[in-house]
Amino acid sequence: MTPILWIIQSIFVPAVSPLVIGVIKKIKARFQNRQGASVLQPYRDLWKLFHKDEVVSRDASWIFRVAPFIVFAITLVVGASIPLVTLFLGNTYTSDIVVIIYTMAIGTFFLALAGMDVGGAFGGFGSSREMTVSALAEGGFIFSLLTLALVSGTTNIFSIAATIADLHITLLLPLGFAFAGFFIVLLAETARFPFDNPATHLELTMIHEAMLLEYSGKRLALMEWASANKLLIFIALASNLFFPWGIAQTLSLSALALGISVFLGKILIFCFVIAVIESSIAKLRFFRLPDVLIVSFVLSAIAISLIQ
Amino acid sequence: MPASIKNITQYIPQSAKVEWHDTTAVFEVAPSDIQKIANDFYHEKHLPLKMITATDERKEHGCFKIWYVFGVPKENIFLVPFIVLKNTETFPSLATTIHEAANHERKIQTFFGLTPKGHPDTRPIILHENWPIDVFPLRKDFDGNPPREAHGQYNFQKVDGEGIYEIPVGPIHAGIIEPGHFRFSVAGEEIMLLEARLGFVHKGSEKLFERLSLTDQVRLSEKISGDSSFSHSLAFCQAVEQLAGIHVSEHTRFLRVIYAELERLANHCGDIAFIMLDTGFNFGGSQGTRLREMVMRVNERLTGSRFLRGVNGVGGITKDIHATESDGLSRELIVLRKDFSEIIAIAENSSSLRNRLEDTGILSSDIAKDCGVVGVAGRAIGMVNDARVDYPYAAYTTLHIGDVATEKKGDAQARFRVRVKEVHASIALIVDALRQLPEERVTQPVKEVTLKKNAVAVSIVEGWRGDIVYFVATDAHGAITRVAPRDPSFLNWSAVGHAGVGNMVPDFPLINKSFNLSYSGNDL
Repeated sequence: MTPILWIIQSIFVPAVSPLVIGVIKKIKARFQNRQGASVLQPYRDLWKLFHKDEVVSRDASWIFRVAPFIVFAITLVVGASIPLVTLFLGNTYTSDIVVIIYTMAIGTFFLALAGMDVGGAFGGFGSSREMTVSALAEGGFIFSLLTLALVSGTTNIFSIAATIADLHITLLLPLGFAFAGFFIVLLAETARFPFDNPATHLELTMIHEAMLLEYSGKRLALMEWASANKLLIFIALASNLFFPWGIAQTLSLSALALGISVFLGKILIFCFVIAVIESSIAKLRFFRLPDVLIVSFVLSAIAISLIQ
Repeated sequence: MPASIKNITQYIPQSAKVEWHDTTAVFEVAPSDIQKIANDFYHEKHLPLKMITATDERKEHGCFKIWYVFGVPKENIFLVPFIVLKNTETFPSLATTIHEAANHERKIQTFFGLTPKGHPDTRPIILHENWPIDVFPLRKDFDGNPPREAHGQYNFQKVDGEGIYEIPVGPIHAGIIEPGHFRFSVAGEEIMLLEARLGFVHKGSEKLFERLSLTDQVRLSEKISGDSSFSHSLAFCQAVEQLAGIHVSEHTRFLRVIYAELERLANHCGDIAFIMLDTGFNFGGSQGTRLREMVMRVNERLTGSRFLRGVNGVGGITKDIHATESDGLSRELIVLRKDFSEIIAIAENSSSLRNRLEDTGILSSDIAKDCGVVGVAGRAIGMVNDARVDYPYAAYTTLHIGDVATEKKGDAQARFRVRVKEVHASIALIVDALRQLPEERVTQPVKEVTLKKNAVAVSIVEGWRGDIVYFVATDAHGAITRVAPRDPSFLNWSAVGHAGVGNMVPDFPLINKSFNLSYSGNDL
């Protein structure tokens, strides 16, 4: 049974992540009185891109060519190292919050390098903005997860989830603050509203998309897939660390079935919330973004100070 | 000759021999005097400069002529002093005292090969480096065939300083919009200088006008800027009607108002939608485009064309609105107004949207005046200009238009709100015009016309962007030898760069959208 579980654990993120993007797009379309594309459309898009030829700039170095593989591989590793549907598949190497945070930072680093690599004006723009947002988001990211680590006395992400699952009610307050801080980081790191507009066609306003403008074909597919993975990873962290209830704690078939369906339910709720945000407000001005990220940091710091 | 002639004579120099063509007063001025007269008109008498253009009359009279079109608002009269260039290819430039003359003169230099003496910027406009600098397409001896390819150089304005870098954007953009190149000089995210380089959709329309038959000319005028098809063709038809001495029927005049306002309504709804969409306010974006689509479908039902093409003609109009349709149309517009009001109420309540629009892309009123900004962008600073009021045409002479919609601040929000007000005004105007629409048979356009000989006509129409001006000249046989359209975009493009300075780069698409100028209408 365990090998099957390991396979599920490893492929869950890349297999489901395009669906997450499709569901968010579908909900947004319905909010705009549109029919919208099928929720399976992102899979078709990836399939299409994988069958297309690539155009690579003459000026591109090895970084540009290799970055998509690094970025995608990192999301695979991280995706396999976090609690998804069960609590007992952790390891002591990669299932650590510090490792996870900084492995993801390596992905951002290569993404930003790739954006600048070909020397296009927009790539440099995107990279500079991405690093600004990413650097400011780091404080909230670390401190919100640190709250959990302090509460549960471990930095292992599976142990954290297990501790939080049967936690005393007095710790709800710091957890609430930490979650608010983490949710802001989730939006910033995954290039969603109010930080970035994933649906925009305006090259001057882009952050994440600007770094991908030079990519095409298979490498673009990998980049798109990787950013979908990243979104699902963040949703998984948010739902399974802060709301771990329902996750399978034993190796029984019923517990696993429950774990999978509860997790899918949580993903759906997050998709809905993100879609509501993106349908109801305008994107913030770029210079207002630091304020929001500072709020995330402050919320997380308050959360830590509230731990008795 | 108009009745208000007495008021007009005060403007015209005593010595001038004035020739009246309908409402247009034409008189020759010595090249050495034109600066004095133009400055007097512009600075002392505050007459708006509508256009400067040239004609090549070397074959007939052995000269070039340069025409300076000034409008007299409220009197509905145009004063057109012109200078004759015999044995010379230079003319005195007005650009140093009248800033907005600069681009008109650059255009004359590029297309006629006449040099404005004393002009501070002698770079070609619209035509690019691949066009030889000694081939002038609007001269009569240019045959219209593409010349040999040249390899010139265009020097963008440079900003020096530590940390300043340039971003070239376009002409191909990530979205489906018209092509234009923008050169940003930025420090970090802040725009220091913005230079727009246009001309990528130059189609040689002005040259084409010289060769087409009258009906085809009307069709061509509809394509000058496709989203203003009706206003452009209306301006052209009115100019030709002046030259032919045709007075159109009351019925036609009302229909023209209804169609022109439908065009304004559709485009304003679209603009309002896209401004909201560019801030990421998706609700407003999708609802606004829905309303635009409603109007476009009304257009299609009434005329068979979503863009109201093939409707206008010289002396008449091809598509009638029957009494049975007009009631239904009024009801539809009332529904549209209700939906529109609800959407705008939600938009005005969104603090995130307001935050994006407020203080974004402020155009100062001094710069706007110097650039001769017209239309929505001008009214957003409080400039009260509207050709429907200042130079009434069609049935605007009898309909009640109400106050010109203005705002004060000149930012993206002001331009947004001017459009909102104009949507309401347009709906009221259409409903009003439908009620007053005379019950008579529609007058079809005439096929053949006899035009006045050696005459000029100026016609102005308030398109949804601003006023559209057409200058039409005939030769000794009464054939049209020159059609010079001036889209409002030609003037307003020069202001967009100024509105961008001091803002940050990610806000520029929003600023650009709040102006929403035509590339095609500018590039011709």
